[in-house]
Amino acid sequence: MAVLPLVLELSIYTHNLMTLTFLSVAGALAWNWMGGFLGQVSFGHAATFGVGGFVAARIVLWAPVPAPLAWLAGGLVAGVFALGAHPALRLRGPYFSIATIGLGEATRLLFTYWEDFTGGSSGLSLPIETALKHRLYWWGLGLVVVVTAATWLIRRSGLGLQLLAIKADVDAAADLGVSATFYQDLMIALSGAVVGVTGGMWASYFSFIEPNDMFGFDRSIGFVLMAVIGGVGTVLGPLLGAVVFVLLRQYLLASYPQLYLGVYGLLLIFIILFEPLGLTGLLRRLWRRLSALRGKA
Amino acid sequence: MDRFIDLALSAVLLAGLYATMAYGLGIIYGVLRVVNLAHGGVIMMGAYMGWVLHRKLGVDPYLSIPIVVAASYLLGVAMYRVLVRHLPRGAAGGPASLLLLFGFWLVLRNGAYLLFTGDDQSITTAWSTSSVVVLGSQLSVSRLAVLAIGSVIPVGLHLFLHRTHLGRAIRAVAQNPDSCTLVGVDVERIYAITFGIGTALAGVAGLLSATLFAFNPGSGSSELLKSFVVVVLGGMGSVPGTGLAALILAVVEVFAILVLPSYLTSAVGFVMLVLVLVIRPGGLFGHRVLG
Repeated sequence: MAVLPLVLELSIYTHNLMTLTFLSVAGALAWNWMGGFLGQVSFGHAATFGVGGFVAARIVLWAPVPAPLAWLAGGLVAGVFALGAHPALRLRGPYFSIATIGLGEATRLLFTYWEDFTGGSSGLSLPIETALKHRLYWWGLGLVVVVTAATWLIRRSGLGLQLLAIKADVDAAADLGVSATFYQDLMIALSGAVVGVTGGMWASYFSFIEPNDMFGFDRSIGFVLMAVIGGVGTVLGPLLGAVVFVLLRQYLLASYPQLYLGVYGLLLIFIILFEPLGLTGLLRRLWRRLSALRGKA
Repeated sequence: MDRFIDLALSAVLLAGLYATMAYGLGIIYGVLRVVNLAHGGVIMMGAYMGWVLHRKLGVDPYLSIPIVVAASYLLGVAMYRVLVRHLPRGAAGGPASLLLLFGFWLVLRNGAYLLFTGDDQSITTAWSTSSVVVLGSQLSVSRLAVLAIGSVIPVGLHLFLHRTHLGRAIRAVAQNPDSCTLVGVDVERIYAITFGIGTALAGVAGLLSATLFAFNPGSGSSELLKSFVVVVLGGMGSVPGTGLAALILAVVEVFAILVLPSYLTSAVGFVMLVLVLVIRPGGLFGHRVLG
């Protein structure tokens, strides 16, 4: 379905929406490496998104560097920046999460007032390139494929097992020789880098970025929501969750903007209370139900 | 030197507020082992409750304290009974409890936006602009009131926890819920009550905060973070520890104004949080925070 544009002429609106969805999916998957696989729920990922975005934007503004390189650079810087959270990584569960709220907000404040770099509240404008916007669709899709493949591989591989071990019981994992510090550092850097790349792509796509939005708490919440709605810790989850999130967001902003937060809040509540694995959980249940029926016949 | 006394007094006044906020978060964590991520939201609701009472009914904010306390308490009990009760206890409930309460915070925020619009509000009364001279400095009456109330509350809390039957039951549940069931303590009821007390404290803190600062439906995250700093720094379950930690945070914040540009002062809380968590997770009085 995603390759439709090769055959059909999609409307600008759909094109936009799908590109946005791709970026969100990639970001959600990357977030999930921390939140789902490692069990470290981050409420501050917007920090890496923003860093990636502004670094990429600055590079493009400074020299005629091809956008994809700028995105990569943004991602790299974001990944390194994410390592700044290293001291918080040894905190367990809720303490880590709250620390990430603090780190995310501190990053936002710092960058908002670093006007020379981010343009402050006026933000940064990039030259608009419609050709690039069109190609971003494919770049976005490509990114999704890469990140999904990586996620799947991680899950299936030894690395995935090690992450799960850390998630289940850090001390026991350490006793078995799985160094939590190393893997946490690794995953947060990778996660931050990927999200940073999506930030750069976002910047190129919209040709305008602004620190309060890029680094905002709402954006950080977005990552959490996407992964949780879809199914935290699964491969399919963030994919489904991001799609649902983007579509729902479009719908709500158009029809019921005033209920935006409340709907997400209620969704979170219902998911936690009734189906912790979100949509993926529901699908699995459905699958099992169907298989059982078929088995009987 | 004058400036120094001014600032020091400011800090002391602020500490009372921070201590009250922190107790709300701390008591819930201490007893239920749940981090109330909706804490900021409840503080915000407390502010709005006071604002509504003041605007629509003309009730003086200080007089509306009992009403806000009662309403926030009931909100907390309801939150427990409807939502938190279903969470698995202990470490397993970790991320789930965060997300659940966070979702509830979003709902509270949305509710506030719908009811009150996103504009900044504050509660201004005749007291807000009057001041009194203490130790040669001009002190605003509202800040003094906040200090007074903010000092009475911890004392009251301490007495409650240590001198009443219910208080003892709460402390017992905090130590060992299973044994409590064995000796006939209704643990679920205690959990609900404790949650209610926590939110009541948050609500009052919100009300008091509203007399000093402006607020809007989005408020609450920095209050949450500051409460967290104080709780962790003070060590769980230690009322005096929390009080001291609140004072330290207030002092750092107030004096940071001397060196930092004004817009970065809110970052102080965030930075302190990370520092505290990293350097002294056990708090001043020692308690395991790392798992």
